[in-house]
Amino acid sequence: MKVMLEAGNVKKVYGQKGHIYTALKDINLEIKEGEFVGIMGPSGSGKTTLLNILSTIDQATSGSIRIDGNDIGKMKEEQLTSFRREKLGFIFQDYNLLDTLTIEENIVLPLALSKVKAKEIDRRVKEIAGKFGIEDILSKFPYQVSGGQKQRAAASRAIIANPSLIFADEPTGALDSKSATALLQSLSQLNVKDHATIMMVTHDAFAASFCSRVLFIKDGVIFTELVKGETSRQEYFQKILDVLSALGGGKGDLI
Amino acid sequence: MTLFSIARKNIKRNFYNYFLYFASMIFSIVIFFTFVSLQYNDQIVKATTMKVDGAFKAASVALIIFVSIFIWYSNAFFTRKRKKEVGLYSLLGVKKKQIGLMLFYENFVMGILALVIGVILGALLSKFFVMLLMKLVGAAAVDVHFMISGKAIIETVIVFAIVILITSFEGYRLIYRFKLIELFQAEKKGESTPKASIFAAIFAVILIGFGYWLALDMSLGIWSNFLFTVFLILAAVVIGTYLFFRSLSVYLLKLSKKNKRYYYNGINIIGTSQLLYRIRGNARVLTVIAILSAVTLCAFGTSYSLYYTNKKSVETQYPFSFAYISQGPALDHKVNEILDQAKDHKVTNTVSVPALKFEADLPDMDNPPSQYFMDLRRVTLMPQSEFNKLAGELGIDDKIHLKGNHAIALDNEYNANYSPKYKGEHAIIHSKPNKATLEFIGFKEFNLLNREVGGLTVVVNDQLFNQLSKANPVANIKEINVTNAADAGQLSNKLADILPEKAKFSDFYKAYKGAMSASGIMIFMGAFLGLVFVLATGSIIYFKQLTEATADKDRYDILRKIGVSNKEIKGSIAKQILFIFALPLILGILHSAFALASLSKLLGQNIVIPVLISMGVYTLIYIIYYFLTVNSYDKIVKAKKRI
Repeated sequence: MKVMLEAGNVKKVYGQKGHIYTALKDINLEIKEGEFVGIMGPSGSGKTTLLNILSTIDQATSGSIRIDGNDIGKMKEEQLTSFRREKLGFIFQDYNLLDTLTIEENIVLPLALSKVKAKEIDRRVKEIAGKFGIEDILSKFPYQVSGGQKQRAAASRAIIANPSLIFADEPTGALDSKSATALLQSLSQLNVKDHATIMMVTHDAFAASFCSRVLFIKDGVIFTELVKGETSRQEYFQKILDVLSALGGGKGDLI
Repeated sequence: MTLFSIARKNIKRNFYNYFLYFASMIFSIVIFFTFVSLQYNDQIVKATTMKVDGAFKAASVALIIFVSIFIWYSNAFFTRKRKKEVGLYSLLGVKKKQIGLMLFYENFVMGILALVIGVILGALLSKFFVMLLMKLVGAAAVDVHFMISGKAIIETVIVFAIVILITSFEGYRLIYRFKLIELFQAEKKGESTPKASIFAAIFAVILIGFGYWLALDMSLGIWSNFLFTVFLILAAVVIGTYLFFRSLSVYLLKLSKKNKRYYYNGINIIGTSQLLYRIRGNARVLTVIAILSAVTLCAFGTSYSLYYTNKKSVETQYPFSFAYISQGPALDHKVNEILDQAKDHKVTNTVSVPALKFEADLPDMDNPPSQYFMDLRRVTLMPQSEFNKLAGELGIDDKIHLKGNHAIALDNEYNANYSPKYKGEHAIIHSKPNKATLEFIGFKEFNLLNREVGGLTVVVNDQLFNQLSKANPVANIKEINVTNAADAGQLSNKLADILPEKAKFSDFYKAYKGAMSASGIMIFMGAFLGLVFVLATGSIIYFKQLTEATADKDRYDILRKIGVSNKEIKGSIAKQILFIFALPLILGILHSAFALASLSKLLGQNIVIPVLISMGVYTLIYIIYYFLTVNSYDKIVKAKKRI
């Protein structure tokens, strides 16, 4: 299987002399094509920093990152921009939908930006809206729909351009459990049926149990990892909880 | 801790936020105070005729309206920034009435402070300001001793006290106007898009057309009540403009949205939707900018046209800096000596023109030209060879060849409506020994002789001239051009002292200064208002851009995250702002074109050139504003951290 993402000795330091804070000490990881990888860890462990760096939104202090064979450390700002547009998809905790656009327009945005033909755009948006069950709200504005619908719209936007890699940052963080489950199931479907590669940061063990592999970070290093393999989701969920309690963060901090 | 002290502390702490509002209030007060002081200035009161007095009053009313709108606008901008803070107070359990009172105090304290500072600054700066403006418009002839007028202070205080009270009351109502939730999520919801009604569009066009028609017709004197007509025109055009923008902008944007090939093409989707998102606010701003542009253009255009036509008519009436009828070589010599001594003025051209002056009858003309009467019903004959020579020297490409008793009049005050048509008309000159008849075959719209010496100048052929000069005395007209003729006051006085009355000494300087001081105050007023309105338009655009850029920052952050390059973002911003800028400029220019056409009719003069120049200058300033706006918007949106 092809390696989709490869990070070697990634380090991130914030601040200047005297007030240095090391968010990531030394991260090495690899994500293969078709994997659904979760990143977990207590607050302040550096998981969001890691996601931002891997997804090219932030820059690492040192270390190398390759996505789909491209060394993103060597790319210039302009190149990174088009790289993000063509190869990556994003789902954020606070949706990051544009409130000036309708749901449909939000979803087609990446295609419009890449100047795909209008007919092709129409076809794709119908297909994807069907997948996420949001056909009815396409003409509505973000402030007119629920959080779960917004997040599904954001997920649709993330995948519409067929990205090599999808990054999800606490996608269920602002959703009620029903919406969260629906979204996670959609992502899981996407992973299983369409072989999408997904990396998801979460602090919710339930959300993480949908992944095929979970990496745990603590204090800026990868502490351990847990592969789902043939275990059921319930068993996997239990195992994740075990690791989390071993990690030391109180349970209240995790859910 | 009293409410009043909280309000005071608020002002102290958020000074940066308050600063813009405060500065724009002070600016308005200084402007208004300066203008009103001018109005009550003793000298100007003495110098002004009825007409100028009316213009002054109209201008100060326009200023009051403008200043109120401007302060109201800045106030709205300012309160929007504070909605969240107000919401927080309410959340923490401060009573609505208390919050209202607190906002009222804040506004009131700031207003009073601005008023005091504004009047003091106005008193200090206005003299300097007025002198600067005088210099700028070249109206040095209007010599204003500036003084602080009690009446001006009282009027300023009254006008602004009312404005401040109203805005303070608006502040008080803020907490009652909005629900708590609305205070917290200001700007989240889009404005509901108004329908692109075809009726509204037609109605708008009818209203604007009605305004234009009135403006053009007013000059014909059908509408006796001038002020009422002006008011009607203004109302029709302003409302029409607003409706026009509201319907047209929606229509245009919706059209571009429907065209998916355009809409789904790159960043267009962002720009178009942003504009639709704030459509109501945009329609308002577009209207304000269009009207302000029109007002600015009218003020600029009117003053510059007056200046231009005055200058032009003086220049055509006085082709030479000095002219006189020679009274013998001794005096000519003296004149040359004085000219040689003048250090600041070099003689560039001296000519000597033979001429014959005759009393004359103009039997065919109902309305003979004014120069004829000014020269005591006389005409001045000059031979065509002299005309051709002189025209060549002055760089005028025009040659005359006449036969027999044919003649050509030189009428530099020609006006198609009032002047005689000359062609085929006759002049009977009282020459010796017999009267002679000249037949005009045409005229020229310039003269080669200065007004006082030339009067109504008539060019005849050399043979006729020579024949007439046998029995009649030939006058020798001396004409001199010097450098810096517009400042040649001293030189002019020296020459006038030695030349007798019958030399009919004629100088460009005196005529020029006379024309300038007559129109100086008008010019000054136009330039003053024009400047104020240009600044105001700039500030309103600036406020709008600042508000929107800050509100839009998050949106552009998202775009950057999902892969939109900075270049594309700037392109989109440039397009959006172009829409906001171009539409009102076009309409503003159209409005002012009709207003100035009406003025042109009133003046009976062709002012196409000065009007085009004013429009060009304004458009240039406007384009500079555009690029500045795009750049600052872009900078705010791209800034890494929120301030």
